[in-house]
Amino acid sequence: MKYVIVFDPDRCSACSACAVACMDQNDIDIQAGERGYRRAFEWESQVGGQALCAYISASCLHCGDAPCIMACPTGCLRRSLTTGLVIYDNSGCIGCRSCSLACPFGAPRFRADGKMVKCDGCHVRLENGLKPACVRACAFDALICLTGGEYQKMLEEKAESSLVKALGVWGPRG
Amino acid sequence: MASNLDRLIKAKIPGDETGISIRHSLCDICTPVHHCGVDAYVKDGRVLKVEGTPDNPYNQGFLCTKGLCNRQYMYREDRLRTPLKRVGARGEGRFEPLGWDQAYAEIARGLGAVKEKYGPHAVAFFSGYAKWYRPIFQRFAFAFGSVNYGTDDSVCNNSGVMGLKCTVGRVAKPDLKNSRVFLGWAFGGYYSAHMAVRGLRGFKDRGGKVIIIDPKITPAVKHFADLHLMIKTGTDGALALGMARLIIDQGWVDRDYIRNHTCGYEDFTGLVRDFDLETTAGITGVPQELIYEATRLFATIKPGCINDSSSTVAHHANGFQNYRAIACLLALTGNFDVAGGNLPVLDTYIYRPAGFSMRAAHFAGELRPDYRHIGAGRFPIWDELVPEFQAVDLARHILEEKPYPVKALFTLGMNVKMFAGTDRMIEALKSLDFFVNTDLFETDTNKYADLVLPVCSSLERVDFKVYPGGYAFLTKAAVEPLYESKRDVDILFDLVKVLGIKDELLEKGYEACMDYMLEGSGLTMAELKKHDKPVKAPAFKPYVPGDYTREGYATPSGKFEFSSRLIAKYRQSHGLDPLPAYRSPFADEPDEEGRRKKYPLVLTTGTRLPNAIHSRLHGVPWARSLRPEPTADVNRHDAAARGVAEGDDIEIVTDYGRLKVKAHLTSKVGSGNVHFFHGYSEANANLLIGPHRVDPYSGFPAYKSNLCDFMKS
Repeated sequence: MKYVIVFDPDRCSACSACAVACMDQNDIDIQAGERGYRRAFEWESQVGGQALCAYISASCLHCGDAPCIMACPTGCLRRSLTTGLVIYDNSGCIGCRSCSLACPFGAPRFRADGKMVKCDGCHVRLENGLKPACVRACAFDALICLTGGEYQKMLEEKAESSLVKALGVWGPRG
Repeated sequence: MASNLDRLIKAKIPGDETGISIRHSLCDICTPVHHCGVDAYVKDGRVLKVEGTPDNPYNQGFLCTKGLCNRQYMYREDRLRTPLKRVGARGEGRFEPLGWDQAYAEIARGLGAVKEKYGPHAVAFFSGYAKWYRPIFQRFAFAFGSVNYGTDDSVCNNSGVMGLKCTVGRVAKPDLKNSRVFLGWAFGGYYSAHMAVRGLRGFKDRGGKVIIIDPKITPAVKHFADLHLMIKTGTDGALALGMARLIIDQGWVDRDYIRNHTCGYEDFTGLVRDFDLETTAGITGVPQELIYEATRLFATIKPGCINDSSSTVAHHANGFQNYRAIACLLALTGNFDVAGGNLPVLDTYIYRPAGFSMRAAHFAGELRPDYRHIGAGRFPIWDELVPEFQAVDLARHILEEKPYPVKALFTLGMNVKMFAGTDRMIEALKSLDFFVNTDLFETDTNKYADLVLPVCSSLERVDFKVYPGGYAFLTKAAVEPLYESKRDVDILFDLVKVLGIKDELLEKGYEACMDYMLEGSGLTMAELKKHDKPVKAPAFKPYVPGDYTREGYATPSGKFEFSSRLIAKYRQSHGLDPLPAYRSPFADEPDEEGRRKKYPLVLTTGTRLPNAIHSRLHGVPWARSLRPEPTADVNRHDAAARGVAEGDDIEIVTDYGRLKVKAHLTSKVGSGNVHFFHGYSEANANLLIGPHRVDPYSGFPAYKSNLCDFMKS
């Protein structure tokens, strides 16, 4: 089964419940300088006197053409056959940082011992019928985890809904 | 390569193979209005991880940012491990461990000496933010013989409760699922009530209209608001009266409801005359067209409901009356006690309505001695409605010893930083003969105590809880209490024996007390123990909208009182106004205009952050990492005018004090406002707020509006 973790900025408040759930799941030791694999933040900017803002939650995007996999000289990174997510075994990691140079989103990080760590999509939880910790924690459905099929269906429904709205027949209550 | 079992253990997969089991408990990091069900992943007596309990009738599997911190909260490094006895000077923080029996003996000696010399009322009992033990603690204090029992309710949610009780006899909550328009007065949701956000999402998806009234731009404004009224802090009453005038002038009033179920309407129409659109816009900073459009939406789409936000609207020197003015909009539009409006609720157990009755209030209060409590007469509305002392008067009473001395404090989880003018409270603590506090952690308050007792978290104890829909839940401890900590109630029951308190129920212990309170619910402790999840109480009866109106309201007139007869009793003696009249949030300050020139900005403390609740999570690294330093949110233009850039050290200055914090620049805070969260040991917001700035009706401190300025430090 392939899985997709989907983020909806129109539901996010940057409350960081996802980030804390990730820290709890992965035993992140803040005092030792570690950081969680997911981060939520408020973005704000001024454009022509107008305030623009966004609420974002971000981690490894588990890219379809994940450049980190190709970049790793020791083959630590790979695509999980069971979940389709980008997972790793850092026992062979030499700390060369090629993966982090290849990643446009800054997902791979390096622990004090020089080994790479990143979000693995909680693929072992997925294999065992549980949702990724961040998704499980999001009370606002800003993060959801879908199978490949469900994701396709969602995209189609979105397209249909946009068409319906564009045709002006939306609004069951006057 | 790691073995498959190692992979499963690392991923914390529950099962026989990994030895990880799931225990159902609850989170009590924040208010009892939530106390969400927690699934604790436990292995070898240690919590490995938490999640929300999926079939909990309240939180349906979801925890908030704070609740997800439970593991690091309970294993905080500064957890108290043993009882401690002070060996240094008060405030110095030097303690020595001692055994429980020795600690109890010291308490018997300390409280006994004060009781003998000054009488039982010289021992005051006080609870900090924790609520779960309250009925037992209150009965304990009264059984000890002291009238002086107080809690953080003096500054928490009670002002709004009192406001509604004076007006219509009961608290009323929005019935969103049957509503068509939501007046989200001070609705934030995302950082304080995650389940309310889920409710509002459903409401919006069904086509409901959302109006948000908030001085800040919040995620709720961005995601839900059809209209956002960015009101000036503390001017809510003026806006409500302006809306009321418009509703009356436009003929949008529900005449039948007003004729049959209200009193004081004529006087109220006289009061709102002063609040034409122009005046209202001038006071509140909300443009006239927006006020008009919001009022039209709310008053003409039926049914509509109003958010019941206890603290943000109430925590001003004028908050009580502002709250009442808002409630009057429900009566004007006939939205009180109708489906889709605001429905009256009664608490079942510890501030939580669940649709069945328990005898908790009776159990807690029946032994109350008849004596003049701390603060009596200063806030008569409080005295009428709350069987506790108003704790904002505690420091004054201790220091002045008027009308009689209070020489000992026995407190559960007291947080001295709760008190506006914390320095004054500290001075009072230093002057005591004897002071005992309990807590989970090393705290600023403990430093002034003679004895400190370690208590455990909700995951380490048996706890009783009710949830809406008729549910009751007796939790089982997910793990044993850490170190030598105990449940607060077990300390109380131990002390009943040690102090020789004569009360049949308290002498019998926890289960007997709970069974007494449960009588009539159809549940018993024996039955509850058989379940490890919430169960439905046989006595549950869903509320039928209109029932309360049919039986007559619990006010002196039996009606919705635009003009409160209870308040009218104190018109002469205390200058209180039975009508919800508006005055400036700074009208209590001498020379308001002069002060506004000196301090042109308004400081609001306590605006919710996702990662904090009072001081409880400031010491939890996961939570703290999300906002590592005490930081004020300031408007970009105000910052620019003062040469302040993002991340700069600034000093916030009020008439009462100054505080060094970091600046975060934003456009989400309106120009003229400064927002700063409270509870930091190194930057205590309550050193900026004078203890004299209280609402004369409720006694509540003006946490949300103080004149200030800031400058680069």
